[in-house]
Amino acid sequence: MKKYRVIYRSVLMENLQYAANIAMGFISFSIIVFVFIQLWNYMYSSPQELIAGYTKSQMIWYVLITETIWFGTPSHVVTRQVAADIRGGNIAYLINKPYHYTLYCLAKYTGGWSVQLPMFALTALGLGAVLVGPLPAFHPWTLLAVTPVIIAGITIDAVLRLCISMISFWIEDSNPFQWLYNKLLLVVGTIFPVEIFPEVLQPFFKFTPIYTVCYGPAKLIVDFSTEKYAEILLAQALYLAAACGLMFFLYGKGVKKLYVNGG
Amino acid sequence: MNVIEAENLSKIFRVRQKEKGLKGSVQAILRPRIQEIQAVNDISFSVEAGETLAFIGPNGAGKSTTIKMLTGILYPDGGRARVLGIDPVKQRRRLAYEIGTVFGQKEQLWTHLTPYDNFRFFGAIYDIPDPETERRIRKLADTFELGPFLNTPVRSLSLGQRIRCEIVASLIHEPKVLFLDEPTIGLDPVVKEHIRSLIRQMNRELGTTVFLTSHDVGDIEKLCRRIIIVNSGRIVLDDSMEHLKYHYLNRKIVEVKLQEEAQLPAPEGVTFLKRKGSHVKFQVDTQKLRINDALHLIDAENLEDINISNIPLESIITEIYKAEGREEKAV
Repeated sequence: MKKYRVIYRSVLMENLQYAANIAMGFISFSIIVFVFIQLWNYMYSSPQELIAGYTKSQMIWYVLITETIWFGTPSHVVTRQVAADIRGGNIAYLINKPYHYTLYCLAKYTGGWSVQLPMFALTALGLGAVLVGPLPAFHPWTLLAVTPVIIAGITIDAVLRLCISMISFWIEDSNPFQWLYNKLLLVVGTIFPVEIFPEVLQPFFKFTPIYTVCYGPAKLIVDFSTEKYAEILLAQALYLAAACGLMFFLYGKGVKKLYVNGG
Repeated sequence: MNVIEAENLSKIFRVRQKEKGLKGSVQAILRPRIQEIQAVNDISFSVEAGETLAFIGPNGAGKSTTIKMLTGILYPDGGRARVLGIDPVKQRRRLAYEIGTVFGQKEQLWTHLTPYDNFRFFGAIYDIPDPETERRIRKLADTFELGPFLNTPVRSLSLGQRIRCEIVASLIHEPKVLFLDEPTIGLDPVVKEHIRSLIRQMNRELGTTVFLTSHDVGDIEKLCRRIIIVNSGRIVLDDSMEHLKYHYLNRKIVEVKLQEEAQLPAPEGVTFLKRKGSHVKFQVDTQKLRINDALHLIDAENLEDINISNIPLESIITEIYKAEGREEKAV
């Protein structure tokens, strides 16, 4: 594992040089957060009103958390870059080292978000504290307990995105599939919690990555319960195992079909 | 002892074809047409430990494909390869510990990090203990004269400095075989010469086997003792550099500048290449006419300057490529 730690550390060092560039992303993040705060302020007639089981404060903090994860984990390392590496043949120069290419990508991705996510989390915390106020009944221990769930969610998301990128071994462009996955995650689970959608669809969502990637971590922070915590952790463990299995399978099959331009 | 063995190695690329225009695009979806390109066609060769081998050929000859099969990047469609007794397909990661690769057109260094951080990174990738990595960095930085820019981010280095760092990154795990794919591409003559002398030194001191592909005749001539020429995926020549020169250097180029314009006789074995005023350039086939006899064709009293040279290796290689092309057409 030392080599993947070193890959992670190298990306971390690289990203730290661009902290100022990352900070530029705060502008669009702040605008989006501001729009959503205004939207939910308009939707709720009073702070005590419940919409889909969420108070206004819970709803806004939910969006703040999911948007923080969304903005703080830029996925190009496991999406566009992997697809471009496969299509352009650059992967050939990355797989001749004594590491597993997919784990190399994951380590790079983790190194990237390790810098960005805390920066966005602090911004979100500041915005939330000023514009919404504290989350009722929130205990700091909750955050500590949910941190592994957040990390697992981000990792599952990365593995699934890697799986989609691996499609590039067979077809010309995997971007349309990434787009579909992105939109599913963004609309169902990031912008709106699952409970907003018709009840008939909700059991179905439980089997999608939404439950483990964005909904689970955010729901646990705004409305923690031990049963939910155990349920989401179990779902994440199963999802992670299945997604990793799929990733190794696709990579193993795909790399045999590798065609490299110019040899 | 053979460190590289290739037996009947073949690779076919299947490339999707598309007719021009919108109609062609629709047809490509409905009835995809795949063209098979035989990149490497049943080639066999072996390389001994400590050898410096030039593996050359025109663009699309199958050089890089062969390197990629030998390093486990591409899977052969036929035949088998062994590098240091390891099957590159089945044990690519194990093989990676034993070989180094430099692809002149691709960067393996992390451009935002310094060469030092990169070398530490590669040391960890190859599971080398930190103190040992430090020792190797010091030694290689000294040999490759990296001291002045060891702590400068790679993105700020010149191409020559970067290539030196690329080679060091490939040597940090002390590979037994080094695959160099056009390592001096884009470099100026001084830097090229410097890199060649460093590769020679490494081969001499560490006994590293060097497998080189290059379009630069200087690389081939100055580094390699053996040459394999490939064309259209097949080996067309496998010979020692010395032997190649002996066989193909039976022709001399004579360039003379006369004081006054004069007609020179053209006996068998002499081919005039250029006549322009008092400048004359001709080729002498020494198997048909001794160079001494050829020189007697020139009136010594009328001679102002003379230059006798061998045919450049570049021309020999081009001739071999062309001869192979003609043979293929004839078949």
